[in-house]
Amino acid sequence: MVSSFKHYVSVASCWARLAIQRQLEYPLFLFSWLLMIPIQYFSGIWMLKIIVDRFQALNGWDFPQLTFLYGLGLISHGIFVVFFINTWSMDHMVINGGFDRLLLRPMNVFFQLVASYVNFIGLIDCIPGVIIFLYGCEIAGFEWSLVNIGKLILVLIGGILIRAALFTSLGTIAFWTKRNGSMVGFALTMLERATMYPLSMYPFFLQALFTFIIPIGFISFYPAAEFLGTDNGGLELPLSFALWTPLVGIICFLIASGIFRFGMKNYESAGS
Amino acid sequence: MLQAYWYITKMKLLTNLTYRFEVFTSVATNLILTLASVFLWQTAYKGGSGTVESLSLQDITTYTILSITISTIFVCDVQNTIYYKIREGQIVTDFYRPIPLLACYLAEDIGEMFSSLLNRALPLIVFASIFFGIPWPASIQGFLLFLPSCLLSYAILWLLSALVGLIAFWVMELGNMGNVKDSIVRVLSGSIVPLWFFPDTVQTISKFLPFQYTYQTPLGIYIGNTSISDGFTAMAVQAVWVGLLFLVLAAGWSRTKKKTLIQGG
Repeated sequence: MVSSFKHYVSVASCWARLAIQRQLEYPLFLFSWLLMIPIQYFSGIWMLKIIVDRFQALNGWDFPQLTFLYGLGLISHGIFVVFFINTWSMDHMVINGGFDRLLLRPMNVFFQLVASYVNFIGLIDCIPGVIIFLYGCEIAGFEWSLVNIGKLILVLIGGILIRAALFTSLGTIAFWTKRNGSMVGFALTMLERATMYPLSMYPFFLQALFTFIIPIGFISFYPAAEFLGTDNGGLELPLSFALWTPLVGIICFLIASGIFRFGMKNYESAGS
Repeated sequence: MLQAYWYITKMKLLTNLTYRFEVFTSVATNLILTLASVFLWQTAYKGGSGTVESLSLQDITTYTILSITISTIFVCDVQNTIYYKIREGQIVTDFYRPIPLLACYLAEDIGEMFSSLLNRALPLIVFASIFFGIPWPASIQGFLLFLPSCLLSYAILWLLSALVGLIAFWVMELGNMGNVKDSIVRVLSGSIVPLWFFPDTVQTISKFLPFQYTYQTPLGIYIGNTSISDGFTAMAVQAVWVGLLFLVLAAGWSRTKKKTLIQGG
């Protein structure tokens, strides 16, 4: 058990080294991401500021609270893209036969899929994420107590698991159809709008959908509402969301890995 | 001569019409974006006085739906085409062609524009109309002015894109510079939030930049926030920008062609 764990760690760290070296190969490529990602997200929060300044708080969410929510959603997105970005390209791996290679090796297939590419560039998403989040904490008066930090970590882990489960399930579609189109873009837009903006803006039907069917409301909206004591506009649960998010995350992840394993049974190689 | 370009356009149109599934998800993505943006505006307007900066919720809904729709039609792939062809060394075969390279790429983009009009813009408008009602223009004159204004907008966007593409000839690995430009355009063109809501200093600076003349000008004419006479003035500014960017591109292009380095092949 211990030796196999050590083996997995050593393989993962070797892959991580290779992936990082590969990405540092083209400095201008890195530089362009370094420009683009912050521009994109800082302008996103700037748009929110303009809207709130000209209009009013969005369903009771004023600018500091919106900043907190936006930052929290963005950090969990950033950490997710560092570790799980390969779930986005499962259809390519199926089409070009890259997936066959994973099946031949004596290791867990999902581990190989995820660990074979550590997306170093994803850390760039975390830069605006952390800045916006810290700024949001400052102006929204978030208290940095040990309990809150612990809750925050649990929420982040849970949120990342929910995201990973969603994209793994979407990627699994490719086992049957060989391609899943630009589902990734679709899911990303949906996630951005549901985790970085208050969910209570949307009609009741969508809120219910994002709470019970595709539980992405748990990634950042409900936890943020609890941290800041904002009225989330409906759902009341007996326990803290800091506990619900990791729980929902683990359940989703287990379901997704079930789907993944079931899909693998149906996998036919697309040929070389 | 024109036949050659029409052929390129037609081929691109036909190729694009064969990818069905991608089109389906693209329409769905844009629809989500439209819905989410309109819900955001509805929340912002809720309980308010009705108009802000003389814009009603209906105006801004129309603005948002059309903004996302025309963004699917304004295809400026030229920056990626140049980047890709230089990376793969395929640019050499394009230079063999007896017609100007950039005009070829323009013909391709126009072909893609036609296919997007059919399989992206049209379904999006239909679905958006089902949810929020048909986004009618403020007046017939406004609509008639909107169309040529859109053409000028597209010219500005395409020229900007081609200029970014030219950089690829000099640096070989352009990375995502095209997307950097796109994110700047998205904000400063008023395609997400109209510039009328921006702080005054930003609005003043923006008057001297080409970006607001790409989205806000035609959309402002369409929803009637820009009067017809102001619309003509704005279109004159658009035309000036088109001329200016064209001159820059022409100058840059004649210099760049000599720099071309063929990789591999």
